Amino acid sequence: MSTNTASSSSAAAGSADSSAPRRNSKRPKYSRFTQQELPACKPILTPKWVISAFLLVSVVFIPIGVASLFASRDVVEIVDRYETDCIPPPNRSDRNDKVKYIQSSGNKTCIRSLTVPKRMKHPIYVYYQLDNFYQNHRRYVKSRSDTQLKSNSSADDVSSCKPEDNADGRPIVPCGLIAWSLFNDTYNFSRNNQQLNVNKKHISWKSDRENKFGKDVYPTNFQNGTLKGGASLDPLIPLSEQEDLIVWMRTAALPTFRKLYGKIEVDLLENDTIQVILENNYNTYSFDGKKKLVLSTTSWLGGKNDFLGIAYLTVGGLCFVLALTFTVVYLVKPRRLGDPSYLSWNRNPGGR
Amino acid sequence: MGGWDRVRPSRSTARLGGNSSMNERVQSSRTIRLGRVTPQAPGHRTIFCNDREANSPVRFMGNSISTTKYNFFTFLPKGLFEQFRRVANLYFLTISILSATKISPVSPITNVVPLSLVLFVSLVKEAFEDWKRFQNDMAVNNNLIDVLQDQRWEPIPWKKLQVGDIVRVKQDGFFPADLLFLAGTNPDGVCYTETANLDGETNLKIRKAVERTWDYLTPEKASEFKGEVQCEQPNNSLYTFTGNLILQKQTLPLTPNQIMLRGCSLRNTEYIVGAVIFTGHETKVMMNAMNVPSKRSTFERKLDKLILTLFGVLFTMCLIGAIGSGVFIDRKYYYLALTKSVDDQFNPDNRFLVALLTMFTLITLYSSIIPISLYVSIEMVKFIQSTQFINKDLHMYHTETNTPALARTSNLNEELGQVEYIFSDKTGTLTRNLMEFFKCSIGGEVYGTGVTEIEKGIAQRNGLKVEERNSDNAMHEKGFNFDDARLMRGAWRNEPNPDVCKEFFRCLAICHTVLPEGQESPEKITYQAASPDEAALVTAAKNFGFFFYRRTPTMIYVRESHIEKIGKIQDVSYEILNVLEFNSTRKRQSVVCRYPDGRLVLYCKGADSVIFERLADVSDDLKKVTREHLEQFGSSGLRTLCLAYRDLHPDMYENWNEKFVQAKSSLRDREKKLDEVSELIEKDLILIGCTAIEDKLQEGVPACIETLSRAGIKIWVLTGDKMETAINIAYACNLINNGMKQFMVSSETDAIRAVEDRGDQVEIARFIKEHVKKELKKCLEEAQHHLQTLSGPKLALVIDGKCLMYALDPSLRVMLLNLSLNCTSVVCCRVSPLQKAQVTSLVKKGGQKITLSIGDGANDVSMIQAAHIGIGISGMEGMQAVMASDFAIAQFRFLTDLLLVHGRWSYLRLCKVVTYFFYKNLTFTLTQFWFTFQTGFSGQRFYDDWFQSLYNVIFTALPVIIVGLFDKDVSATLSKKYPQLYREGIRNVFFKWRVVAIWAFFSIYQSLIFYHFVTTSSKSAKNSSGKMFGLWDVSTMAFTCVVVTVNLRLLLMCNSITRWHYISVGGSILAWFVFIFIYSGIMTPMDRQENVYFTIYVLMSTFYFYIAILLVPIVALLGDFVYQGIQRWFFPYDYQIIQEIHRHEIDNTSQTDFLEIGNHLTEAEARRYALSQLPQERSKHTGFAFDSPGYESFFAAQLGIYAPQKAWDVARRASMRSRPKIPLKK
Repeated sequence: MSTNTASSSSAAAGSADSSAPRRNSKRPKYSRFTQQELPACKPILTPKWVISAFLLVSVVFIPIGVASLFASRDVVEIVDRYETDCIPPPNRSDRNDKVKYIQSSGNKTCIRSLTVPKRMKHPIYVYYQLDNFYQNHRRYVKSRSDTQLKSNSSADDVSSCKPEDNADGRPIVPCGLIAWSLFNDTYNFSRNNQQLNVNKKHISWKSDRENKFGKDVYPTNFQNGTLKGGASLDPLIPLSEQEDLIVWMRTAALPTFRKLYGKIEVDLLENDTIQVILENNYNTYSFDGKKKLVLSTTSWLGGKNDFLGIAYLTVGGLCFVLALTFTVVYLVKPRRLGDPSYLSWNRNPGGR
Repeated sequence: MGGWDRVRPSRSTARLGGNSSMNERVQSSRTIRLGRVTPQAPGHRTIFCNDREANSPVRFMGNSISTTKYNFFTFLPKGLFEQFRRVANLYFLTISILSATKISPVSPITNVVPLSLVLFVSLVKEAFEDWKRFQNDMAVNNNLIDVLQDQRWEPIPWKKLQVGDIVRVKQDGFFPADLLFLAGTNPDGVCYTETANLDGETNLKIRKAVERTWDYLTPEKASEFKGEVQCEQPNNSLYTFTGNLILQKQTLPLTPNQIMLRGCSLRNTEYIVGAVIFTGHETKVMMNAMNVPSKRSTFERKLDKLILTLFGVLFTMCLIGAIGSGVFIDRKYYYLALTKSVDDQFNPDNRFLVALLTMFTLITLYSSIIPISLYVSIEMVKFIQSTQFINKDLHMYHTETNTPALARTSNLNEELGQVEYIFSDKTGTLTRNLMEFFKCSIGGEVYGTGVTEIEKGIAQRNGLKVEERNSDNAMHEKGFNFDDARLMRGAWRNEPNPDVCKEFFRCLAICHTVLPEGQESPEKITYQAASPDEAALVTAAKNFGFFFYRRTPTMIYVRESHIEKIGKIQDVSYEILNVLEFNSTRKRQSVVCRYPDGRLVLYCKGADSVIFERLADVSDDLKKVTREHLEQFGSSGLRTLCLAYRDLHPDMYENWNEKFVQAKSSLRDREKKLDEVSELIEKDLILIGCTAIEDKLQEGVPACIETLSRAGIKIWVLTGDKMETAINIAYACNLINNGMKQFMVSSETDAIRAVEDRGDQVEIARFIKEHVKKELKKCLEEAQHHLQTLSGPKLALVIDGKCLMYALDPSLRVMLLNLSLNCTSVVCCRVSPLQKAQVTSLVKKGGQKITLSIGDGANDVSMIQAAHIGIGISGMEGMQAVMASDFAIAQFRFLTDLLLVHGRWSYLRLCKVVTYFFYKNLTFTLTQFWFTFQTGFSGQRFYDDWFQSLYNVIFTALPVIIVGLFDKDVSATLSKKYPQLYREGIRNVFFKWRVVAIWAFFSIYQSLIFYHFVTTSSKSAKNSSGKMFGLWDVSTMAFTCVVVTVNLRLLLMCNSITRWHYISVGGSILAWFVFIFIYSGIMTPMDRQENVYFTIYVLMSTFYFYIAILLVPIVALLGDFVYQGIQRWFFPYDYQIIQEIHRHEIDNTSQTDFLEIGNHLTEAEARRYALSQLPQERSKHTGFAFDSPGYESFFAAQLGIYAPQKAWDVARRASMRSRPKIPLKK
């Protein structure tokens, strides 16, 4: 830096040495900063640059797009929408009937059978997908107490949980609407009458499990109110092991969301038929929400989602087309770089 | 103050002892006072001179002045008030309050912290600027002045001066307050003051004390002075004063002749003694200064409009969200537990209330659409621009006066880039107020080899190199800058017409009213002349060997060399018989003199028009040639005078002299009669030649004006000078040339004079108004006619103060405005300070143009304050203009740098800063807005509190400031080489609604990309472990994309990228990652929700993160990139073309580039120039201009206040003064 300024001050016509000995001189000192002469690169967006940028983007994007799309296509996904089918036909007619059915205390078992379209390698992830469920509603998102979940000592910290804060004058653990509305459909899978085990361990993010939900926090006074919102919890298991709750409480970004239910740790073969014994407990009928059961494998990029691949390919392709178009346009309507006749005062001479 | 304490007891004892003087005073006063406590009658004030105690009950204002905006106590309330005048600040105050309530989705800290930061920085800046003003005031207030204390002169600071004090002002000193002139060292109670600081007039004004007070000169005598002054209350009229001095029961009337105003200085008088009558802010000059308004730039006002628009957008967004929430809310979403007793905001029973409350929620949620740090960033940028760039620019440092440029406010930097009209004072600003004998034409031959600035300019534009011809024998002294070997050192004797030369030189040496002073040797002598022109002419005669060294009432003594042969010197005395003095109607001056040998000659000098009329019919050739020379001189901007003589026959002279004496002694209409008699003898003249005097321009003025006018800036000259002088300077500055169509609106017509002679004020007013109206109408019609023809000439308007007074009348104002806006240059002459301000605000308000005023004197203060930007010329004596200005520069030519470089850059940079701020906040807020649609319009925030509050303050703050400081489209050299680039600023190309709309379009595009790409792509599992993202993972992802893109977008809009750009952009993105690594990595016991705990680690453990972070920013920037590519290639801005032309040049900042400026001529300009060089049919300017000695202030004359000093008085006084000196020498 110092050598820089020393060499550059020679350009300032010896300003430094003339001002140095004179006292009382108000002559400003030379510096590249104050004279606004900092070295700079001056990019000019010439056609060459524009076209090469487009080409570069397309060259990089198309392979990535292809790779992503392949990854997504490798994933096998079975989606089964069941919320209507799992209601007995007489009760399907209108919403009130459905709600009445789901709130009744009878057996709501429902059997679904799924066909595996393609060989699925383990682990196969089981998700439930809800629709029109606003887990991101402001009232809902707020309605939890992180301190309470974390440690036993702050069980009373339920101020943010209204209206699910206290029951019978005692605090609810875990409090709040999120926990209260915990999803409670259950799935049992069997293939050829042979039970398929669903592993529900480690379905939540490790950071949640270990840091946000305390090992010494046990559900108390939960779902004891007049209205049951959803699943009950085993009061003997600490929250850090209640992984369904942990998954549920990582609220979703959009009103349509999937949550991990469990993992099937055997491969499924093509054309296998899988029986799902389903307890249809959860009320999505009040608000016309859909329920779906999803079985999916994953790739390095995660579940089945063509969006990224398509986006990459589209952008890559678009850039290629743009590069071509710009080239053609520049050939058809060329402009010499730095043509003074384009200057506004030369375009309309004599104009006042 | 010790002195006064000492005085007081002695005074009181004196009073006890000598009651008589006390009684005297009480009786003499007209107001009845009981114990001296009655307040002053509002109509007048009474001042007891030399008696502080007597004045103390009245509590006159002290003499200290203050131009600061705040004081210690008012600073906080007033400063905060100023800050909250800004819509945005007020808005954030509201939001901060609102966010402390329950309906807010964000915590109050989010808004309070940035707001406090903003206010703090702004207040510190204000305090700093006011402190500097305070220091300036202190410097003025602490000047020392001699005050009478205990019969001695004691120096005390100006601020301690009080009304009634007796002060002594020495030669060249400034008057510290408005003084009553009591006595001076000159024998006849006369002193000279220079009022250039006040009204810009440079001729010395004569002040004359009342005869009774002449003796109070020594401290002993002065302490006996116990007068009482009754005078009008302080007012702002510079040229009026009414009052009485009551001295020993005698009432003496006072006139402006005895008043010396603050801001003026004493000249040619050793010292004077005066009594203080008005002090501090009550002095006339301060009363003339308007209140210092806090100027806000037009840009900022436009910015407010943009902010208001954003408010509109915000309101619309909130309204949409609010309606949505009203519609959405329903008990069917049982998991929201919307029971009967639910909060109002979510109670489906009252949907209207839900919507209303959600509206407020959303306002706090979307508050980030209003860029909170915008103002503070702009202020920081502007502050650095002004203190580091403008104040420290070496190009604007003037070595001779050791003055750098000074930005006194940093509010107006970008305004400098949009100036369309410049109003300039003449004296001291355009000219140096230095007259130099430059050229002459004798007997049809031009002498003088000098080249004027304007000729240099023309030559340079034609591509010719002008080399300074500085031969060794060039004589140069004050008033003489002439070089021609054919005339110097007696060489004129070898010229074709030595006799004519002789007459020429004699005419110069004899025909004048100059007083010689000092030793009678050519080197030591100084000439005292009321007009610098005359001094220059006499100095010229001296250098040609006709040394005028002594004047008596009847004789002029000239030491003539080289008459008979080279080197011979003889003293010749000419008897002056008559002086036919100069006035503005006659435009000539004659002297009848008798040679020692009895030859009777009348020498005459004057305007070419009047001299040529009175020539004898012979010498037609000479007439023609001389006229050509006059035109040549005139178009080079020189001031010309024609010289002629006439030999008189003694009989004829005697005959005429009788009439003359008669006229002189007549009591009625003496002036008129004298004029008539003069006509009788000033005829049949023989032309000798003409002189050309250069009214020395400030360095580089024509080139600067030329550059500025190519930049599309129109320059008006507003001057107190006479019309001829003003026009001449306009020629010299290249503001007017012969190729222009000139409109003259003058009150100097015969018809008006005739009406004025009749003296009926009402009639005069009516007549002049009619006349002005007629003229304006005529000019306007002609102007429109000229504008319709395509290649019509450029237009120029010259108007004088008297006409202007009527033209500024509301009924004519529109016409004046229309006419003057169509003119390329306008010259207003003989205008008062107030009129200067009126003209300025006419264009500012009526024309809606950005105006700039530049001046150096106190007479320019009102104009400087009225304009959008006021510029003071610093480095001179007076500080008034600088004190009132926004920027101070040492030389007019620095305007080029100030406007074309600093102004243009500041404008460009601020446009970028503002539009970028607009873009980044809109983009960010819109992602939030799109999210609202998918949360049931509940007002759930998409981002964490801290993301939102730090977005503006940390993650995107620094790079935009770097752009505001360093962005350069083209280098400083190119900015000056292509002044046309400046027009983009005048047209406000970069901050139009169209520009804002384009940014808004891309904001919407980008925010859609961010929101939808991120949410859509994260619907499925995002890594091979099959786990799903939650809300905060998605929002962290989206926020990362926003920060990266917004910062990269900044690089895309930079014209020059320094390492600071890389550091700040890289640093900002890095800052985000560092922040999120820490923020999401820790859990705190503090009350915050652990929403984003570990999100970034979760995200970064997936491939998806890297794939998306590559895709989203590139897609988002693709739109802007395509737009920029197309715009640059097909609709390039001027600066882009210039960049391309000079793309291979590295920034060459060596000073040699300076010389090339102005050489560049585009084809169109060349053609236009060639056209202007074609012969024209119009009458040509011949450059007559002369400041006559008899000429007094136009205002004074108009108000009929005091009789002008006549030329004869000068001669008489000469005799009085020189008499005691001559015997001493002999």
